[in-house]
Amino acid sequence: MNNWRHSALAQGLIRCHDCGALWPLQQEHTHCPRCQAMLHARTPDSLKRTWALLLTATLLLLPANLLPIMRVTTLGQGEPSTIFGGVMQLAHHGLWGIAFVVLAASILIPVGKIIALCTLLLTIQRGWTTNMQQKMVMFRVVHWIGRWSMLDIFVVGILVALVQFGNLAYIDGQAGAIAFAGVVIFTMLAAGTLDTRLIWDRHLQENASGSEV
Amino acid sequence: MSTLAPDTRIACHECDLLLSRPEISGDQVVYCPRCGSRLISSHPNSVERSLALAIAGLILLLPANLFPVLSLEVLGRHQQQTIFSSAMALYEDSLPLVSLCILLFAILVPCTKFLLQAYLSLALHLRRRWPGLPLAMRALHHLDEWSMLEVYLISVLVSVVKLVDMAEVHPGLGLYSLGALILITALSSSQMDEDLFWHQIDDLSSPAEDAPSEGARHE
Repeated sequence: MNNWRHSALAQGLIRCHDCGALWPLQQEHTHCPRCQAMLHARTPDSLKRTWALLLTATLLLLPANLLPIMRVTTLGQGEPSTIFGGVMQLAHHGLWGIAFVVLAASILIPVGKIIALCTLLLTIQRGWTTNMQQKMVMFRVVHWIGRWSMLDIFVVGILVALVQFGNLAYIDGQAGAIAFAGVVIFTMLAAGTLDTRLIWDRHLQENASGSEV
Repeated sequence: MSTLAPDTRIACHECDLLLSRPEISGDQVVYCPRCGSRLISSHPNSVERSLALAIAGLILLLPANLFPVLSLEVLGRHQQQTIFSSAMALYEDSLPLVSLCILLFAILVPCTKFLLQAYLSLALHLRRRWPGLPLAMRALHHLDEWSMLEVYLISVLVSVVKLVDMAEVHPGLGLYSLGALILITALSSSQMDEDLFWHQIDDLSSPAEDAPSEGARHE
C-alpha cells in the first residue's frame, strides 16, 4: 500500500476535485463529464499559490495585531483596543477561560496555521518524508480550525451594533479589523490550495526508487 | 452519461490511494487505510434526512435573522442587535469589507447552503431531473467551510462576557434560534452522503443506461 504504484495517478487515473469521479489521465485539462469541473491530476500551481497566499497573510499579521480593531469611547474619552489588548482586558477581569479562547482564536491559531502550512510546503519542496501520518493530522487540524479565527471579527460587529449610547458610551470599528479579516481569509484559502497528495507523491516515489526503479 | 471508472474504484482525495469501492450500508464510514482521511460515508435515508434538515434549517433561518440576538440596557436605554445589524454597524463605520465578511459568512452562505441542499434533496427524492443539479452539488461542496454560524454563536457569548460589567445584557429569541440552527447545520453536514448524491444525479441524467452494479447503493 505504501507504494507509488497504488496511487491513482500512477495507474493513469485522475480524480475530479469536485465530484470525486475517476477519469483516464488523457482527459486532463478537459471538463469532468459528470460535474463539468476542470480536471487536473494535481491542483495547478498548488505550491506557488499557497506560498503567495501565506505571504499575504503573514504580511497582514502585523497591521492586524498592531492597529486597533475597535475603539471604546466612554464619556467622550476614546480608548483604542487591539486584539491583544482585548485579551489582556479579559484576563485583567479574571475571566481566564474566555481570555484564553480569544487568545487562541485570534493569535495562536493564525500564527500556528501559518507555521504549520510553511512546514508542509517545505516538506513537499525539500522532500522530507518522515512522520507522514502526523503531517496529515496537522493539515486536517489546520483546515478545520481556520474558520474559528473569524471570532474576533464577529465580536467587533456585535459590540459595535450593541454599544451605541451616544455621549455615554459607544464603540466603533477600526482599520485593524480589515487586516485581521484578511489574515483569516488568506490562511483559509492557503489551506484550500495546498494539495496534500503532493506530500505523498514525493514520499512514495522515493520509497519506490529505493527499492526498484 | 455513463462514467468510466468511478463505480468500481475510488481514489483518496488527500493521498491519491486507489481502492476498489467498498460496499457499505447503514451508518458506515470508510477511512483511507494510507492517510486516514474520510473517504465515503453512508447513512440510511440520506436524501430524505437531508431534505428534512434543509427545510428545518430554512425555517429556523427566519427567527435567527429577524429576532434580536442580544439586547443591552444602559440607564433605561435599550439597544438591540440582529446578525444583519452587526454587519451594517461596521458598514456605517466605513469598514465595508469587514461588514461584507459578516454578511457573507453568517447570513448569505448559510442561507445558500440550505437552499441548495433543499433543492438537491427534493429533486433526488422526487426523482426529477431539475436543471443545474451538478452545479448545485459543486457549489455546496465549495461553500462548506465558509458557513460560520457556530463561530458567530461563540462570538455572541464572548460579547456577553465583555458587556456584562458594563450593562444588563438580555438574550433574544434570535440567540435560541441560532443555537438550534447550528445543531441542524452540524446534523445535515454529517447526514449527507455526497457519494450517493452524485450517483443519483448521474442516474437521473442517464436513466436508460442505469448501471446495474449500483443497485446495492439505492435505498
